[in-house]
Amino acid sequence: MAKMNTVATHRNISFTLNGRQVTALAGNHQNLVELLQGQGLYGARESCAQGLCGCCTVIVNGAAVSGCLTMATLVDGAEVRTIEEPQADGGLDAVQQAFIETGAFQCGFCTPGFILMTRQLLDAHPNPTEDEIRHYLSGNLCRCAAYTEIIKAVKLAAKKRKG
Amino acid sequence: MATILGKSNSGSAFGQSLPRVEGRAKVTGRAEYVHNLRLPGMLHGKIHRSTAAHARIKSIDVTAARELPGVYAVYTSADIRKLIPEPYYGPAFHDQPVLAIDKVHYVGEPVALVLAEDVHVAEAAAQLIAVDYEELPAVFDEVEAMTSQAVVHETLKPAGTFPDLKHLKGKRDTNVALDFHLRRGDVKKAFAEADHVFEHTFKTQQVLHLPLEPFVTLADPTPNQLVIHTASQSPSFVRIEIARLLGWPETRVRVKVPYLGGGFGAKLYIKLEALVAAAALISGRPVKIALTMDEQFYTLTKHATTLRIKSGVNKDGKIIARECEAWWNGGAYADIGPRITQKSGFTAPGPYDIDHVAIDSYALYTNLTPAGALRGFGIPQLVWAYESHTDMIAKALKIDPLAIRRKNILREGRPQATGTPMRDAGIEKVLERLATRMKWEQAFDKGGGTIRRGRGIAIGFKASISPTTSVAIVNVSADGSCIVYCSTVDMGQGSDTAMAQFAAEALGIPVESVSVVHPDTDVTPYDMATLGSRSTYHMGHAVKNAAEDARDKLLQLAKDVGLSAETTPIPDIFRKKYGMQAGNIVGVGSFIPPYTPPEPGTGQTPDATPFWMIGATGAEVEVDTETGEFKIMRLVNLVDVGRPVNPAIVETQISGATIMQLGFTLSECMNFDAGQCTNASLADYRIPGIRDVPPVMENEAVDMVQQTGPFGAKGVGESGTFGVSPAIASAIDDAVGVRLTSLPLTAEAVYRGLRAQAGKPLQD
Amino acid sequence: MTPFELAEPKSLRKALQLLDTDDPAVRAFGGCTALMQMMKSGVFHPSRLVSLQKVEKKYSKIALADDVLRIGALATLSSLAAARAVKKAAPVIIETLRTLSNVRVRNVATLGGHLAHGDPHMDLPPVLIALDAELTAVSASAVRDLTLADLYTGYYETALARNELITEVRVPVTANRRAAYVKCTTRSADDWPTLGIAVALTTAGAQVADARLVVSAATEKPLRLVQAEAVLRGNVINDGLLARAGEAAAAEVELMSDAHGSAAYKRELLRVHLARAVRKALAA
Repeated sequence: MAKMNTVATHRNISFTLNGRQVTALAGNHQNLVELLQGQGLYGARESCAQGLCGCCTVIVNGAAVSGCLTMATLVDGAEVRTIEEPQADGGLDAVQQAFIETGAFQCGFCTPGFILMTRQLLDAHPNPTEDEIRHYLSGNLCRCAAYTEIIKAVKLAAKKRKG
Repeated sequence: MATILGKSNSGSAFGQSLPRVEGRAKVTGRAEYVHNLRLPGMLHGKIHRSTAAHARIKSIDVTAARELPGVYAVYTSADIRKLIPEPYYGPAFHDQPVLAIDKVHYVGEPVALVLAEDVHVAEAAAQLIAVDYEELPAVFDEVEAMTSQAVVHETLKPAGTFPDLKHLKGKRDTNVALDFHLRRGDVKKAFAEADHVFEHTFKTQQVLHLPLEPFVTLADPTPNQLVIHTASQSPSFVRIEIARLLGWPETRVRVKVPYLGGGFGAKLYIKLEALVAAAALISGRPVKIALTMDEQFYTLTKHATTLRIKSGVNKDGKIIARECEAWWNGGAYADIGPRITQKSGFTAPGPYDIDHVAIDSYALYTNLTPAGALRGFGIPQLVWAYESHTDMIAKALKIDPLAIRRKNILREGRPQATGTPMRDAGIEKVLERLATRMKWEQAFDKGGGTIRRGRGIAIGFKASISPTTSVAIVNVSADGSCIVYCSTVDMGQGSDTAMAQFAAEALGIPVESVSVVHPDTDVTPYDMATLGSRSTYHMGHAVKNAAEDARDKLLQLAKDVGLSAETTPIPDIFRKKYGMQAGNIVGVGSFIPPYTPPEPGTGQTPDATPFWMIGATGAEVEVDTETGEFKIMRLVNLVDVGRPVNPAIVETQISGATIMQLGFTLSECMNFDAGQCTNASLADYRIPGIRDVPPVMENEAVDMVQQTGPFGAKGVGESGTFGVSPAIASAIDDAVGVRLTSLPLTAEAVYRGLRAQAGKPLQD
Repeated sequence: MTPFELAEPKSLRKALQLLDTDDPAVRAFGGCTALMQMMKSGVFHPSRLVSLQKVEKKYSKIALADDVLRIGALATLSSLAAARAVKKAAPVIIETLRTLSNVRVRNVATLGGHLAHGDPHMDLPPVLIALDAELTAVSASAVRDLTLADLYTGYYETALARNELITEVRVPVTANRRAAYVKCTTRSADDWPTLGIAVALTTAGAQVADARLVVSAATEKPLRLVQAEAVLRGNVINDGLLARAGEAAAAEVELMSDAHGSAAYKRELLRVHLARAVRKALAA
């Protein structure tokens, strides 16, 4: 711990959070989930702590990452988006609406991760096959196992996005 | 539009697939969990855990941990005992210490606690604690525990809390926490008279709940009260038990529970609450402990079991006698194991009409992580055994699996093994609907070459826990909107939505004008707990009663002020009474079903349960004969939930329960090496992901009404789990003639079976 | 996790200087996924981490020229999966990536990190060995080339020195090469592999001109199946030949028992799935 005084283990970083410029003091040993908690955002949740369950999904510079495996200091200068990002006209986007309409969650703990990943999936594949859905979402776990409803939600969201 | 009592303007509230009331909060990441909560001045706690399975603690050295900069305090049981002289808790036995005292009983048992403002400092300090152990002989297997010289607990202290567990004593100098016995008819004679006798033994493995929100509790020592925010399924129990430990009146402890990120039976009774409460009171600061995913492996598991079952069967397939022995591996602390041993134990012969029955069911202590209830309360283990056994009998007697069930199932009005007659139990209906959906009586493509196909069915049943109490308050505001106060915990099963539907239905007002307050023991009245699929029935009744009480009071109020509540909007009645938008009508309801305790020794009772839950599964599989690898192609799940409160949520409950049990059937297994779990992480303990969901899943709630249920409803959370494991095992047997009797069902076990069948057993 | 120093050098040269120390608690990272897991579980407590995320962009380039696919070691697995050059030169890599970890990890994990980790359960090492790939490793004082097969020396052990970094992986492009990877999982669908089998065949008419077969996950490190290769080489594929190749493979390597299955069972899986992997490669 003596080392703490001689080398920089923390630093001030600034990044865009859901469209807003923010600054924070981050420790190198802290992860992105902790950084977001410091900003009052709790939608990204550390659960498995291994990058396997997807509860901590965050979008960094347009790509989905596991917040629990991302060092907080590395988002310095990045564009960070979370489930709390406001949607157009203050409402819910097509994916969120589809999750509600199909009942694609139970306890809701994993839901932000599934929604963010579904948005990424639909950006890359606007008409995903069931096989593509299953592969893309294979890194997200739902212990309540609302998987069949989630597949329905993704298909409905794809339809809604096309208007 | 103003609401008129009994004139709901959204149609009937009950039986509609309404979206969840908390949907918006959950899809925006803003739903409240204890996980989110931070308080000013809060300390984080990290637990130092035992590395020994059974050992005397010679010394604990916390010096290095205490000296680490940033550490606020380090506590051991010596510190806890200054606050709580007898710091033992538990729902059945007061056997579990807040922190280990003198001895540790399993690997992972909490031994010491570090508090720090920075969670990383607390974590680092917890690793600096050194404990010197003197190892003791340990026992891990439930059957060995029956006769083992290694005794986990020297003394046993029955809790005496719950009315159905008042008889508990435990057996001194043994590992038996409870032995339950049922005797009906003359088993010995019937076996002698039977044409055939079959006997098989089945095993299930240690698995666990793993809610994605791991255990988390925060305690805040305010000047007048200890406020505990906790992810608990049993807030009322937490309050009573913490007050008991502290010697305080109940009202000095306040327990608040927001949404849970999953529960499945893990977050019941006391888990972290006693430790966090003690730490907060000793330190005088708010304290939060949030376990990691990996720590959940050291907190609570499902019971591993050994189940022996023996049947006397006539030539025509009629089962005339059955003997069941069940050994439940309870781990180091009894938790709720004794109740499982008894309440599930008495259903061990299955949903079959058998005149002569003997059951012996044992709750055993071992030196493993404590075991408790997990989605089914022991029933999935029993169904696994008796339905596998049923198909093994059918195969031996060359009787079709559907036919042997049709011949033996318990029909309406017939006495179950306890003597309690079956009422509103859709066993026959569930079985027949399953047969129809599986097209059981039509030819089935068995495949060919190296890919063989097979199918299987299984049906199970469960009694509800009894007697248990629920209380609810329904508060009608002057604008006609209404708030339900109840201590049912919404852990994902949709109880907030269901309770709003109950209140709206009883009052005849729109669901949108009903809100549900989350459990807060200063605000919401007593509820036994959210467990065992009891809330729909018990709390449903209480909410309905409270709403009806409010309705009657509103009718009276209207009458008092010279109005008709049937034609006057609710706000006008209040305005007439109070001269403005003011006042409330408060309705109160409580519910406890009738119950007769079983006769000691025979287990006989005319009233074992307020209702029965029925669940069945049909499975179709494809087996690769070259490798033993198999795929579940189709799962058909049928349940009797009475009238579904919310059909869409009911379907998600069935499907979710089925997939969870699929994990317990195929992939989930805690591996132990001398009591140490060797795969305590989600990387090495595999729960089902989206690619594990079978391509075809069908779920159906059969058309049934629970006459004694609120609006005809009963519980749903567990029934989907019952038939999954044996249906798949039977489908594998149907495909390739390999019968597996231990869970999990692995490709390797199938392959070894195939090799043995071919007379060339696989050599290691 | 405990506090440590983080360096983010802008050049590889600077990164190598920072790594040139005797302190074993100094490590470099690309995506930091595996390293974060190790730090979180308390297996590794760094004093200093060196991020490679800001070094020259050329180290993440992917290009196909002169029959060689060149992949900068800092290319993320996602960029690999999306690269046209990879699709053209070695589509088996893209197929393998589909079930490698998950989208989020692939978005940040780099090829160099994936290879240098030394975990025998990783999917790309057997595939790249089958494709006869080689790599360049550099330190502050030296540059050297070695084959992928020579990179792995044991269980979680590689030939890389602590101060050495992979900069580039080169996959030769061969005419008439067909390749496949079979990932056997025995628990859930997205589990670590029980067994990985990579196959690369070059054909001359109906005959197998050359075969490179690699097994991983059940072995301490990815291993060539040289006896099985010999069975295939120069012959026309048929069921009998494949059965003999499977037997040879099962006989020539020592497999490890673990929670995924016994060694005896894995041997059977290898026997059967090797033949299937060859069929899959031929159909590719």
